[in-house]
Amino acid sequence: MSKFTSMEDKLGLDKFTLFHQTHLKIKDGFKTGEAAKKLVNDKLFICPAKVYTLNEKDEVVVSFENCLECGTCRVAAPEAVEWEHPQGGHGIVYRLG
Amino acid sequence: MGAEEKFDVIVVGGGPAGLTAAYVMAKAGLQVVVLERGDYCGSKNMFGGIFFTNVLRELIPDFEKDAPLERVVTKRRWSLLTPDGEIGGGFKFSKFAQEPHNNSYTVLRAKFDKWFSEKVEEAGAMILTGCVVDGFLKDEKGKINGVKARMDDGDIYGDCIILADGVNSLLAKQLDMHRELAPESTIVGVKEVIEFPEEKIKDRFGLNDNEGVAYEYFGYAAKGAIGSGFIYTDKTSISVGVGGTIKSLMEHKLNPNDLLEWFKNHPAIRPLVNGGEQREYAAHLIPDGGYNRLSKLYKDNVLVVGDAAGFVNASLFHEGTNLAMMTGKIAGETVIKAKEANDFSEVMTARYEHRLRESSAMKDMKKFRHLAHVLDTTPQLFEKYPVIMEEFVRDMFTVDGESKNAKQMRLVMRLLRKENPISFALTGLKGRRVII
Ligand SMILES: Cc1cc2nc3c(=O)[nH]c(=O)nc-3n(C[C@H](O)[C@H](O)[C@H](O)COP(=O)(O)OP(=O)(O)OC[C@H]3O[C@@H](n4cnc5c(N)ncnc54)[C@H](O)[C@@H]3O)c2cc1C
Ligand code: SF4
Repeated sequence: MSKFTSMEDKLGLDKFTLFHQTHLKIKDGFKTGEAAKKLVNDKLFICPAKVYTLNEKDEVVVSFENCLECGTCRVAAPEAVEWEHPQGGHGIVYRLG
Repeated sequence: MGAEEKFDVIVVGGGPAGLTAAYVMAKAGLQVVVLERGDYCGSKNMFGGIFFTNVLRELIPDFEKDAPLERVVTKRRWSLLTPDGEIGGGFKFSKFAQEPHNNSYTVLRAKFDKWFSEKVEEAGAMILTGCVVDGFLKDEKGKINGVKARMDDGDIYGDCIILADGVNSLLAKQLDMHRELAPESTIVGVKEVIEFPEEKIKDRFGLNDNEGVAYEYFGYAAKGAIGSGFIYTDKTSISVGVGGTIKSLMEHKLNPNDLLEWFKNHPAIRPLVNGGEQREYAAHLIPDGGYNRLSKLYKDNVLVVGDAAGFVNASLFHEGTNLAMMTGKIAGETVIKAKEANDFSEVMTARYEHRLRESSAMKDMKKFRHLAHVLDTTPQLFEKYPVIMEEFVRDMFTVDGESKNAKQMRLVMRLLRKENPISFALTGLKGRRVII
């Protein structure tokens, strides 16, 4: 069995250079309530870094600092995700790749 | 960047496609700048994988002297996974251990792309890292004459722009050249690099010296979703990963990391990857749409290369790096000609597509153009058929005293009861045509 299996553990293996501003946004109409629940449970659960979660108020929480910048979310839910690259030199820094 | 400074060519993206284009053009004396958003070239890039070095060898014949190569791939294996079994076959050729090493090396991209970028700098190109490009500059006539980078004094001017910004290519999209990535033909892949002592790797995979393996897994490798898995050996680590189309993973409610954990614990995989020290977890997309979803490749002053244009052969051959380099090289050579003629309009950039059509890159893309569609419309290849296959092969090889003839008869009859033979045969043919 691998030592690290949870998302938190896995992301802990990686190097990130944090930028203070998010590069991922949820569009209006998908941020809370039923639409938010549907978005996360049907689509954005697929994020390989589990960046998108729901809080107890059914709002989408975007942990952009964990983003691996793959683009899966923008293909899975283009109607709801506003996606850009993070600031140059920031975000994920693969040391092996 | 000073406003007076102007380049012949701006290359956006420092992966294999962009770096190859830049290398070729810098060698010919053009003023070239590569803009890369990562902290260094390679810092945003991951793949399986095998780096196919046929084009690299043309550019830098002695690359084996100092490139960060992991292992020569002499052993390949393709397996059909079932929920808890494996049916497979492959080859191991010691000939491939000799020059030119079948042009197949495992590499780790963060190291490899960085090395390549240093070669490109030596060739005379300028490389600006930490520089993300957000859009284009246009002159008063509306002609594209530069790019906008997200930094102070970020307006950078050039006669020609090569878009090598990879699978998500937001830039080709801005110019309406890119067909948007579709969930059914875009694969998300995740992998882990797990470190082991060198001897352990050699023992586990039966390898001499610097030989390496590529094991690829189909069928039920993505737990019934449309996808596949892999194991590659590096020098002192193994790369293990799995991927599936975004559409299919959503339908099967599979998160890629959970899927990777399942894959690593599959009875056929676990003994190969168990133990060691996990070093990195990475995720990346693969444009799997094939020939039918290639982007528009050129317009006035702009060419699109590599993943940005959709150049990946996702059949059994799993090629992307060599297509990236081949398209980068041909684009670079096209721009050299355009510079000679001092004409960067479509009249000249169109030569890129004309030459590509003659190249093996395009011919291979064409050959496998139905792949994505066939996979998307044949889910039984990933869920039902692996199970039927296993039952058949397992029973065939079960030792129980039944005569071989009786066994064969019984198994064929059972198969026919389970599956319409015509549709089974047709699916088999369809599958073969897109895979090999
Ligand atoms: C899981 C997986 C396994 C694979 N296995 C193999 C394999 O075994 N063999 C093989 O040959 N191929 C494989 N591939 C495919 C291969 O990795 C790609 O085809 C290849 O890397 C494409 O090269 P590229 O230069 O076009 O794009 P990339 O390597 O993606 O480079 C694009 C570059 O552009 C930069 N960039 C993007 N946007 C901007 C911007 N706006 N401004 C500045 N810079 C920007 C990025 O940071 C990146 O460095 C695999 C891919 C994946 C995901
Ligand atoms: S880009 Fe990839 S890692 Fe980042 S939020 Fe989207 S799916 Fe998750």
